Amino acid sequence: MCALLWADNVSFRYAAGAPLVVDGVTVRLTDGALAGILGPNGSGKTTLLRLLSGTRRPTSGRVLLGERPLDQLSRREAARQIAVVPQETELAFEYRAIEIVLMGRHPHLGVFTVEGPDDIRIAQEALAATGTSHVAERMFHELSGGEKQRVVIAAALAQIGHGNSSSVPAVPSVPSVALLDEPTASLDLGYQLEISSLLLRLNQEQGVTMAISTHDLNLAASICRELILMRDGRVLAAGPTADVLTPDNVRRLYDVEADVQINSETGHMTVVPVRLAAPKRIREGGRILK
Amino acid sequence: MSIRRRIVTVVAAFAAFAIAVMIWAPTVGSTPISLARAFDRSIPWDDNVDAQIFFVARLPRVLAGGLVGATLAAAGVVLQALLRNPLATPFTLGVSAGASLGAMLAVTMRLEMTVLGITSIPLASFAGSLVATAIVYALASSQRRGLSTNVLLLAGVTLNAFFSALILFVQYLADFAEALRAIRWMMGGLDVASYFPIIAALPFVLISFVAFAMMTRTLNLLSVGTEAAAARGVEIVRAQRLAFMSASLATGAAVSLGGPIGFIGIIVPHLVRLIVGSDHRIVLPASALFGAAFLVLCDLAARTLMSPIEIPVGVVTALIGGPFFLWLLVKRS
Amino acid sequence: MNTKSGRKITKSTKYTKYKKGFFVGFVYFVSFVVSFVSAQQPKRIISLVPNVTEILFAIGAGPQVVAVSTYDVEPPEVRSLPTVGALIDPDTERIISLRPDLVVTYGSQADLQAQLTRASIPFFDYRHGGLDHIMVTMRALGARTGHVDQAEKVARGLQAGIDAVKNRVAGKPRPRTLLVFGREPGSLRNIYASAGRGFLHDMLVVAGGEDVLNDIDKESAQVSTEMILARKPDVILELNSASRLNEADLKAVVDPWMTLSSVPAVRNRRVIILNGPGLTVPGPRVLDGIDKMAKALHP
Repeated sequence: MCALLWADNVSFRYAAGAPLVVDGVTVRLTDGALAGILGPNGSGKTTLLRLLSGTRRPTSGRVLLGERPLDQLSRREAARQIAVVPQETELAFEYRAIEIVLMGRHPHLGVFTVEGPDDIRIAQEALAATGTSHVAERMFHELSGGEKQRVVIAAALAQIGHGNSSSVPAVPSVPSVALLDEPTASLDLGYQLEISSLLLRLNQEQGVTMAISTHDLNLAASICRELILMRDGRVLAAGPTADVLTPDNVRRLYDVEADVQINSETGHMTVVPVRLAAPKRIREGGRILK
Repeated sequence: MSIRRRIVTVVAAFAAFAIAVMIWAPTVGSTPISLARAFDRSIPWDDNVDAQIFFVARLPRVLAGGLVGATLAAAGVVLQALLRNPLATPFTLGVSAGASLGAMLAVTMRLEMTVLGITSIPLASFAGSLVATAIVYALASSQRRGLSTNVLLLAGVTLNAFFSALILFVQYLADFAEALRAIRWMMGGLDVASYFPIIAALPFVLISFVAFAMMTRTLNLLSVGTEAAAARGVEIVRAQRLAFMSASLATGAAVSLGGPIGFIGIIVPHLVRLIVGSDHRIVLPASALFGAAFLVLCDLAARTLMSPIEIPVGVVTALIGGPFFLWLLVKRS
Repeated sequence: MNTKSGRKITKSTKYTKYKKGFFVGFVYFVSFVVSFVSAQQPKRIISLVPNVTEILFAIGAGPQVVAVSTYDVEPPEVRSLPTVGALIDPDTERIISLRPDLVVTYGSQADLQAQLTRASIPFFDYRHGGLDHIMVTMRALGARTGHVDQAEKVARGLQAGIDAVKNRVAGKPRPRTLLVFGREPGSLRNIYASAGRGFLHDMLVVAGGEDVLNDIDKESAQVSTEMILARKPDVILELNSASRLNEADLKAVVDPWMTLSSVPAVRNRRVIILNGPGLTVPGPRVLDGIDKMAKALHP
């Protein structure tokens, strides 16, 4: 199966002489995948997403979109196929929800082009897909946390041309990816559930390929079919969720002893932290100092 | 209504308002004149006082006011989007401080040269604005990763402080009359009495406006965040550079023409956003048009309210701007 | 015992007492006179006001001047004197270190005056006034510096000169005049003109002109081009501080006015530049300026 988006042994540092934030990471996203990039804060997840979206160039290694290296595409070309849902959206000015979604159409428009009826239709469909049609004309900053996040996801959908129906006519179905950075991090439990089920639905019903970076084990367990575990810029383990999410890996990732089970109600794996694990280096030394 | 139609309709409405103001303004003033006489071509020019008042005293003034008002308002919009801060003004990044220092030096050193019909003070102040822009740009792009808006802001504020100190120093060294003249220049004035200065400023303003027109949608995206904008296909460094350069060039030209007239660059965008929303494709042209009308009206007040004495136009805009901000502050809390 | 020497001793003791008393009294008297006289005749004068410096020299107090302001250039003698700052930046330390017994200050220099008082240095408080005030100042300084007669002579001479001009222009129609003392070079922006009051206005009136901005009644006002066009002055007198203006310079200075061709002053070529430093210094040279104005207004 050909990878849709492939980070091939990429490394990245923010400035010369700075430590590597991403170190020799390989990630393959196939068409229709729903992958989770899991790891503690500072593990390089956000940077990896930036490398995957093309907003940063890797210091070494390469990123391929389909068959083409990402650095050979212009920002606009890349943006037509790869959308990013950032962790937070802070507006300097007051925009309406529909205006935010229409911003996703930017890479499809020329300098002096104004959004046409097709763009508006795509935006409306994106809102419908995320269940936010009813807030289209409302001011973004007045929306609830969950509504805001759904609108931003709608913007991403509009950007990669997904709606309820097929994308812009005369353009063949273009492989597209949505990269989401901590989509539920600042949300209440209710909204978390809302968003995660939305993402699952978008992936399963509309075939949106997604990679979600998160430190929320349970979110990852509940919707991601495959996981990439990252720590200190390196991939610890990668593969199908059931294989990767083991107590051993959780300990290696978070220094936490956890109980990993399949929840009878949902059928998903759940991770329940039990206690702090002893730090690795001390154990490796053979003697327990504490 | 489609987006295109909405943009066109709103901008056309603002244009109608601006044109109406600019047509009306030269017909009123502290001296009653007869329009019939002013346009009567049979009367020789040298005898036609009404015509001279209209075409020499008032019309250039109104045109200058329109140009400066439009430019400062538009530059304000661009800088607010660039810095993602509705409180940014065209003067935030030090351009007007450079212009003021240039003018100050021209006054104190008694420069008296005229190049292509432009006299020394506008020339020196434009040069000063270019120097300030270059310094801020160099400082802000000294970081490897292109233009950082934080560093831009910091550099601009620092330069403002530094140039203001220099201005005070030069003022101190100047004699009384020179200091007075410089202070008076800094209060702004549109009584150009000639079309030359306007024509001289025009090319720079037009270039900037073309750049503005090209980046309106980008400004929308930039104002939501640089990472988000980059992910949506904006070349961040190029866009920021273009925004900064064009806004600075425009501001430099405007300040050289009319002095550092404050508050236009912040009142007008605010008011316009209250009326039309935040889409820069509407806000930018609407602000330019409203800014033109607004400054012309302020100048009209300046030259008629306390007749025969004239109030400096910068004082009028400040007297309106101050309470406006208080009101904004109260409204927000 | 009444010996000869005893009596002699008693007599000389009394004499000595008187001699002592007389001597002491004499010393007191002399020092009183000296201090009185030296208060009237300050030996070390510092002047911060350039036009007052000129007056001091004119009334004969020149030799007593030991230091002047940074802007003093006349008369030539002052150019070699030390300078002590001016209106905004008087160098108090320097002033005091020069041990003056009279300092001429501006009326607004309250801080300086307070410091001088603390140092027990007397000062002369000068404020600008109209044309008459020049003569008043001359006489006051004459009294203060011990040159009463000379001051009186100079003041009378100046008054006579002023009266002579008045007589010369009496009865002639007074042209409506715009007296401009500042504008941006090369353009008509930021024009400042006399507006019905003050010392420059007085000069204009003596020279036989009528201030076209009389009704504003201020020492100076900023004039817009509309105002000039509306008021139609017959003559525009522009004061220029350059010491020499050749043909080309003169044309360059007058040129911007040509735009206002409907103004009688422009049409009739009565835009006149009065140049020369010190034309409008309220001091002994003011007659020169008045003369020039009168010639321009009534050739």
